[in-house]
Amino acid sequence: MRWRCVFLLALFMPELALDPFSADLPSGWPHLLGTDSLGRDGLLRLLHGGARSFGFASAVALGSLLIGLLLALGEDRFREGRSALRSLPSLLLLIPVAAAFGGFGWASLALLLATLQSLQLEPVLRMRLDPFRRGPAWLMNDVLGATPAHRARAWAPWALLQASPLFPTAWLAALWGEATLRLLGLGPGPQHDSLGLLLNEELPRLSTDGTALGIASLSLVLALAWSSSIPRDAQESA
Amino acid sequence: MKHLQGWIIWLFAFAAIIGLPGAVWHQASAPAFPWAALLPMVSLLVILGLAAPAMAASLGPDGARHRMLVLLEAPPDFLWGGLMLASWPSTWGPPGLAAFGAAFLIAALPTEVRWLCAAMPAERPFPLAYGTAVSRITRRIVVLHLMPRWLAARVPLWLTAALILERIFGVQGFGGDWMHRISNRDRVGTAAWMLAFALLWRATRIWDRR
Repeated sequence: MRWRCVFLLALFMPELALDPFSADLPSGWPHLLGTDSLGRDGLLRLLHGGARSFGFASAVALGSLLIGLLLALGEDRFREGRSALRSLPSLLLLIPVAAAFGGFGWASLALLLATLQSLQLEPVLRMRLDPFRRGPAWLMNDVLGATPAHRARAWAPWALLQASPLFPTAWLAALWGEATLRLLGLGPGPQHDSLGLLLNEELPRLSTDGTALGIASLSLVLALAWSSSIPRDAQESA
Repeated sequence: MKHLQGWIIWLFAFAAIIGLPGAVWHQASAPAFPWAALLPMVSLLVILGLAAPAMAASLGPDGARHRMLVLLEAPPDFLWGGLMLASWPSTWGPPGLAAFGAAFLIAALPTEVRWLCAAMPAERPFPLAYGTAVSRITRRIVVLHLMPRWLAARVPLWLTAALILERIFGVQGFGGDWMHRISNRDRVGTAAWMLAFALLWRATRIWDRR
C-alpha cells in the first residue's frame, strides 16, 4: 500500500516538454524507446505517464476506501437506494455528467470514480466490519457515552486496517478504469499524459507496426498483473 | 414503499438521460437495434451466468485467493482484446463474434468467479467438519443466494466490458448500441436501455427476497 501511495506526489509533476524537431525518432541512444510524434522521449513518457496514472489510481483507491468506510460504518439506511446505484451502469451515469460539465479534469474524474467504486466496496467492507460492530467493545462506546469524535479517534486505525486488504484491488480497478475511460474519450484531454493514454495509442499498433514503447508499455501492464497475483502474505514478507 | 428509494434513483437516471445536453449537428436517425447480435450476446451472458457460479461452487471461498484466477483477472479487458486480435491467425479470416466471445469470456469469467468466491463465507471449521458432501451442498445454497445480487451488480459492468471489446473487434453488439444512441442523442432509445436495467434490478430484488 505504501509504495503505491508514494506515487501521489507524481500528480504534481508538470507535463513533458514538446520537441517537434526530434519527432518520431527510432529507438537508439539517447532515446532508448524512441520519440513520439510530438518529440517526447518514449522512456520518459512511460515513466512520467506511469507514475501519474499510479498516483491517480492511489488517490482514487484511497478516496473510495474512505467513502466506503464511512458508508459501511454508518447505519444501514437507504439500502435499496445503494443497491439501485450499484445496478446503474456507471458509463451511462458518467456520460451525461461529462456532457453536463463539459468533460472531466483529473480531480473531478477521481472524485467520480472514487464515489462509484466506494459503492461496490461498501458491501464487502460492511461484511468485514459488522462482526466487530456487533461485539462488546463497540457496545461499550454506547454504554460509556462516547462522542462521535472519540469514537472516530478510537476506531479509525482499526477500520483502516480492515479496509487495507481491499486497497490493491481498488487500485487496479482505478488504474484500468482511467485507461478505459480514456479509450472512450472521457477524461482529461490528450495533452495530459498517462499510462491509459499510452496504452490506447500503442496497444492497437502492436500487431502491425509495434514500437519499443508499445512493447515496454505491455511489459509494464503484465508486470503489474503478475505482481498483483502474488499472494498477500508473500508481498508483506518481501 | 420499501423499493421507493431505488425507484427514485432510477428516476434520476431517467431524468439525466432525457435531459442529456447537446444535439447532433447533422440530422441522424436512431440506430437500428443489432438484432443479429442478440442471440450471440444472450448466449455469452448465459454461458457466463452459468459457468461462473458453477466454477465458484466447485472452488469454494478459497477460489478468491486462487493465483491463476487473480493473474487472469488483473489485466484490463482491452489487453485481452488486443492480445486476441494480435494472435488471431489471418488464415481464419477476420476475427468476428467468435474472437469477441472468446476475449469476453477470458476477461469476464475469472473476475466473476473471484467475485462470487470472495463473497462466500468461510468453510472452516464448519461446514467442512461435517464432510465434503455437506460443504458442497452448502456452497450450492450460498451460490444460489448470491446469484441475484451478483447479477444486479455485475451485468451493467459486463455491458461496459462488451463495449470496449466490440470496438476492438469491430462487431455490433449491445454495448455499441447504447453508445451510438447516446452519441446520436437518441434519448428514447437510451431510456429504453435504462428501463431494461431498472427492470433487471427489480427482478433481482424480488429473487433476492425469495
